[in-house]
Amino acid sequence: MNTIPLIAYVAAAGLYAAFFVTGRASIGRVASTVLAGGALLHTFAMGMQTMSIGHVPIADTTSAISTFVWLLAIAYLYTEMTTEERAMGVFIVPLLVALQAIPAIRPGLEHRAPILESPWFGVHVASLLFAYASFALACVIGITYVLLFKEIKAKHLGFFYKRLPSLQRLDAMNVRAVTVGWLFLTIGVVVGGIWTVQARADAVLDPRIRAMSILDPKIAVAMLSWAIYSFQLYARRAIGWSGRRAAWLSTVGFGIVLLNFVAVGYFLTKSHNF
Amino acid sequence: MHLLLVGVSHRTAPVDLRERIDFSTRGVDAAVASLAARATNSEAAVVSTCNRAEIYLAAPDPQVAREDVLGFLVEFHGIDASEVRPHLYEKQDSEAARHLFRVAAGLDSLVVGEPQILGQVKEAYSTASAQQSVGPLLNKLFHTSFVAGKRVRSETSLGEGAVSVSYAAVSLARKIFGRLEERTVAVVGAGEMGKLTALHLKAQGIRRMVITSRTTAHAAALAETMQATAVPWERLHAALAESDIVITATGAALPVLVRADVAAIMKPRRNRPLFIIDIAVPRDVDPAAGELDQVFLYNIDDLQAIVQENLTRRAAEMARAEQIVDEEVERFAAWLRSRGAIPTVVALRQRFETIRRSELDRLQHKLSGLPPEARARVDEVTRLIVEKLLLTPTEQLKALPDSETLSAYSDALTRLFSLTPGNGAAGGDRCLRVPEADSQEPIERRRAKSG
Repeated sequence: MNTIPLIAYVAAAGLYAAFFVTGRASIGRVASTVLAGGALLHTFAMGMQTMSIGHVPIADTTSAISTFVWLLAIAYLYTEMTTEERAMGVFIVPLLVALQAIPAIRPGLEHRAPILESPWFGVHVASLLFAYASFALACVIGITYVLLFKEIKAKHLGFFYKRLPSLQRLDAMNVRAVTVGWLFLTIGVVVGGIWTVQARADAVLDPRIRAMSILDPKIAVAMLSWAIYSFQLYARRAIGWSGRRAAWLSTVGFGIVLLNFVAVGYFLTKSHNF
Repeated sequence: MHLLLVGVSHRTAPVDLRERIDFSTRGVDAAVASLAARATNSEAAVVSTCNRAEIYLAAPDPQVAREDVLGFLVEFHGIDASEVRPHLYEKQDSEAARHLFRVAAGLDSLVVGEPQILGQVKEAYSTASAQQSVGPLLNKLFHTSFVAGKRVRSETSLGEGAVSVSYAAVSLARKIFGRLEERTVAVVGAGEMGKLTALHLKAQGIRRMVITSRTTAHAAALAETMQATAVPWERLHAALAESDIVITATGAALPVLVRADVAAIMKPRRNRPLFIIDIAVPRDVDPAAGELDQVFLYNIDDLQAIVQENLTRRAAEMARAEQIVDEEVERFAAWLRSRGAIPTVVALRQRFETIRRSELDRLQHKLSGLPPEARARVDEVTRLIVEKLLLTPTEQLKALPDSETLSAYSDALTRLFSLTPGNGAAGGDRCLRVPEADSQEPIERRRAKSG
């Protein structure tokens, strides 16, 4: 089910790379079309999964990753449409491929525990996945910012100089993505807290609910990423940390998010392994 | 009918001569109109830029037309024929086409790959169109030149990268700041180089510009011509702190800004990037200032290195651009050859049509008994038979590979069908449509006309 969109994403990744190297607008348009087609196929796949299991597939880490990939593809396509910039695709789409490979190779079981039927849980996961998609965009924009910054600073105007939008533009795109991501991260964390309080009352004996505390790795690392992004937004306003420093922060922030989402999600957490 | 090009350009003529035969001063449209009025050509267009003045003609006899063009130049510009003759170049048919395609592609420009020339060629065409002096030959020529120009622009990077120091500075500024309208530029030093770069930035829509100089009067004078604000030299640091782009071009022997100065300027800016363009020799800004975070410092050598690199890259792209021009010339030449077949095709059609009509006339007394619809049907059927018989020979003639083969075929056809040579040859495309238009008339009306 997750393999068909994966194939489309692989094709799109190749096309975006070709576009980045040759700079031909026609290849870029084909790449966007293939990616949009992949996202559409992904939508169908998720729709079918939703119908067969009766709810949106977000309850276990594997299907949450697939949903995240879908959100990121859509968020990226939206950015591309609103900014007319395709240069970012060469960085984003490989990430889609790498993450989508997990659900494609290892399909999720999607046995939803009864305590996850609360609408609070749906809002919690959906907001966080959307936040992560925004952070992924911010990270990629940050990386390209640093690459372009280094080229201009070193006076070696070459590969990235020719292909990327201006530093100012990249900075503005970065702050927009981080702001949106931070908002959804905050909503996700708050809603998660509310849901935990409710679940504590309903399922006193579930060890996972008992493990829901700030000391659980998953929650602790999530709070760390929230702190980093909060600092990035604060530092921009208060002490003028824009540009390169903001770019670095959003890269570090997403590294932590990804670590939390995949590594901690699969291996370390005691509270979030549904 | 031949395509003829006569012109002068920066490659053949010195600037004072080019100035004297620049059409734009007295109006390209007037030039086209007076050219088109001459009997030696049937189509005319003029491409006129500061680096070239070229006349494109469709002429039955190129030798006669060439002499006439010279006469036209002498009359129109009031210059001596002996003055202009040694600087003229002249090309015919597909070589003339190649020349225009290279011009449109920017291959013949002073700065190879410069982007304005395609627009100028388009303008030349629309001026000539407005004067109704272009026909099938120049239409095809100019449209193919647009294709060649666009292909070179999109398929090669011939036009990419700044090739002047000022433009290199502008494109860097755009890469750092994006849109430049809201940015503030400070010009330090009121010399000529600083002014030039500032003018380039001004052309990008910069609204706020401050100018400062050790000599207050110089700064004030330059500020007036540039619509900028003059700032006293003592306020230099404060002015720089408020700017995004700084151009330094003083004649000072020692650096005007050392690293500590720039560091002090950066403090209140809260990390907003500062782009310093140091075009003074000796340098005005200590190179160590470029190590500061968010400071982009480029001196004249850095900019010249960028320009040099871009020029080298453009030269490497030229071979690909020439190849595209070759392809388009080949397409145009094939079209020209197919046009060479037109007189024969027209003569052949007229011959067939004459036979058809005379046979219909001969049978007139037998047909007159039929109802009008049946007579119309007879006319229609005979016309269709003629059309079908001619279809394949016409296509084959137009597709012949070279002019020798074409003339052999034309001779054979002329002899086989006893065609009258030259019949309809002058008419070009228009003649082709005459028999078709004619045959749509009902048979009675035609008879009424002849009777």
